[in-house]
Amino acid sequence: MDGGQTTTNTAPAGNSSDFVRKLYKMLEDPSYAEIVRWGDEGDSFVVLECEKFTKTILPKHFKHSNFASFVRQLNKYDFHKVRQNNEENGQSPYGQNAWEFKHPEFRANSKESLDNIRRKAPAPRKQTQHNEDSVPTQQIDLLNQQIVAQQQQIQHLSDRYAQLSVDHQIMLQEVMRVQKTVLNHEHVIHQLMTYLLSVDARQRRDSKTSAPFQAPGQGGSTLSPSQVASMDDEPSSPLQHASKLLSDMNAEIQFNLGGLDSLGEPPKTAPVVAATPALEAAPRNGVVRAPTAAATAPATPANPANPATTALVYPKMNGEVEPVVYPVGATNGIDPMYSEHVNNVPYPMPPKQEVDDPRRQFAENRKKSTNVDPGWMRHPHILLVEDDATCRQIGGKFLYSFSCVIDTAFDGLEAVNKIQEGSKYDLILMDIIMPNLDGVSACHLIRQFDRTPIIAMTSNIRSDDIQLYFQHGMDDVLPKPFTRKSLLDMLEKHLVHLKTIPQGMETAQPPAAVTMAAQSSAGQSVKEDSSPSQSPATSIGTWQPSGQFQGMAAVHPNLQQVPGQYVPATPAAYAVDQNGVQYPTAPVAITAAAAAAARPQQRRQLSDMASAADTPNIAKRPRVYAPQPQPMVNPVQAARTG
Amino acid sequence: MAETIDQTTFEQILEMDDDDDRDFSKGIVYGFFDQAEATFLKMEEALKEKNLSELSSLGHFLKGSSATLGLNKVKEACEKIQHYGAGKDETGTNDEKDEKVSLKNIEKTLADVKKDYKEVEAFLRKFYDEKESSD
Repeated sequence: MDGGQTTTNTAPAGNSSDFVRKLYKMLEDPSYAEIVRWGDEGDSFVVLECEKFTKTILPKHFKHSNFASFVRQLNKYDFHKVRQNNEENGQSPYGQNAWEFKHPEFRANSKESLDNIRRKAPAPRKQTQHNEDSVPTQQIDLLNQQIVAQQQQIQHLSDRYAQLSVDHQIMLQEVMRVQKTVLNHEHVIHQLMTYLLSVDARQRRDSKTSAPFQAPGQGGSTLSPSQVASMDDEPSSPLQHASKLLSDMNAEIQFNLGGLDSLGEPPKTAPVVAATPALEAAPRNGVVRAPTAAATAPATPANPANPATTALVYPKMNGEVEPVVYPVGATNGIDPMYSEHVNNVPYPMPPKQEVDDPRRQFAENRKKSTNVDPGWMRHPHILLVEDDATCRQIGGKFLYSFSCVIDTAFDGLEAVNKIQEGSKYDLILMDIIMPNLDGVSACHLIRQFDRTPIIAMTSNIRSDDIQLYFQHGMDDVLPKPFTRKSLLDMLEKHLVHLKTIPQGMETAQPPAAVTMAAQSSAGQSVKEDSSPSQSPATSIGTWQPSGQFQGMAAVHPNLQQVPGQYVPATPAAYAVDQNGVQYPTAPVAITAAAAAAARPQQRRQLSDMASAADTPNIAKRPRVYAPQPQPMVNPVQAARTG
Repeated sequence: MAETIDQTTFEQILEMDDDDDRDFSKGIVYGFFDQAEATFLKMEEALKEKNLSELSSLGHFLKGSSATLGLNKVKEACEKIQHYGAGKDETGTNDEKDEKVSLKNIEKTLADVKKDYKEVEAFLRKFYDEKESSD
């Protein structure tokens, strides 16, 4: 009001803005004093009655009745609302609902200074401009830094990709070559077979026509007369067997080629959907358990495709990876990779339909997956130690259906006696809590003189329980209630030596065998390479020389999303990009570093960004320990037993 | 019946039946009925004698067979009895020092499990009877 800084600006009032003049004029009207008036100091104005002001005064002076747009207008002219608890006033002296606005040049009785009130625009704010100008440069510098870092990372990734595709090609050729060899071998075997069959036929003819004792002389055959006689017109059984093997092998080779095709496809097109059925085809036979996998593989036809599809599809699935069943950390004797344990993790029951007709509820037509012969060389002898009749009956029936020979004991004591008397078993299934002698003690005793695998069958699978079992010489734990499948898996795991090698496996399926054997490790390593969540850890080391630009960390999340999409692009494109952008790098880097150091505030902001960007990483990280194919295979069963 | 019987578990027992009859599974199920009823009686007795450890082991015993058949509700109740009898709470994680509380809990759970058992028994008997009449 005292106009201390009165400007030399003597331009006529007409020069000032319409809005400001209207505002001033409005305030000159004393009849509004109850609604809107100058502030007590004369350096602000107050809207006392917002509602009345909006309804009566605004329309008169500003041709609208929108208080909000009035305020907006004021803001445009750099008026500021005076806060209620401003240090000057403490509380607004004009009442609770008053709006007080202020502009340094807007004063009562100072009409001249109105000319200095202009609309805010980028141009007029000359004074602040200098300050704010320097900030963006630094920001730009840092951004440049990040771009360079990104460039390097992209370069690194594309190099890697190139390397991997070369490797992939080599592998593919190798597989093809092996495939050819196998086919050749197969032809040889076929020819051999034909020859042998003809020899066999001739021999049989001869042995029929001539006296039996002539047989030994024929074609080096060592068959005894009785054997020859019993054969009659049938081809000799080893030959028969071999033919069967051959025909089976043919089928598998067919599948193999199919697998190869999908292997040859660019990984990008390997559809997620395709991977899933392939996986589901293989659930029982390991994939999870490398040792048995090679031996058990009825499901192998699909397997050659597995490692490729699953591993390559993984990066694309990102967040949607199946939930891991077991928490990280010590497994406590429970192997998270091991399906039984997964099956028995307490899971919420899957919602089921309520069907009250008992007959409809249990589908009749599910029948006869029964009596699978897992392909034993001989019937495994199993001792089932179980005091509960129900469990014993069902367990026995299951074992019987797996072509096992079963002996039972009602408690630990009986089991120990049986072993002591010299009964030989291939496997002992041992309940834990039993009368007379519990399973752990029985196992402990048996271990004094016998090494037959003993499997604890129990519902007590807390980690300390399991530790106890292992301490006393048990080999594994089959959680109760066991399922037919979990039981079979257990048998196959511990009786690998009794399994016949499935037909054609060793010869006809080198690719399958190789990939499968490699799967647990290869799957893991492929994943490590392509897994976005791990890439920062590995790549930072290579491209971030200075390590002091925290802002760079903000780069990762973007990059992480990309690997899948990088695939089609050519390395050349990146090189060009890089050259194009790289020119400002070196100088900028230095200034940026200096600037960053000089302006901690700015830096803090960026590191905030970085840490914010890190969070998704952390969230994603758990995926790393996901045993890849396994949890996908089993979710349903895992949910079942809970 | 869905939460009472685990369909998958029960079905795999049915699968073990021969093609033309249900003798195997029926034998097991009816055997379980006898076993369960006998166990309930023993539990009753043990409850009178306040023999917690006996109750716990009876609970464990019936838990095993009911679980094998997929009779979830019965199994869960038996598990509780097993824990209560062992001086724990119903999940088996925390100690319950007061024997009276444990006995009381068992009494209540036993009453519940009998009800659940009756329910599932009726269902299963119906299941096998209808099977026979329709076969």
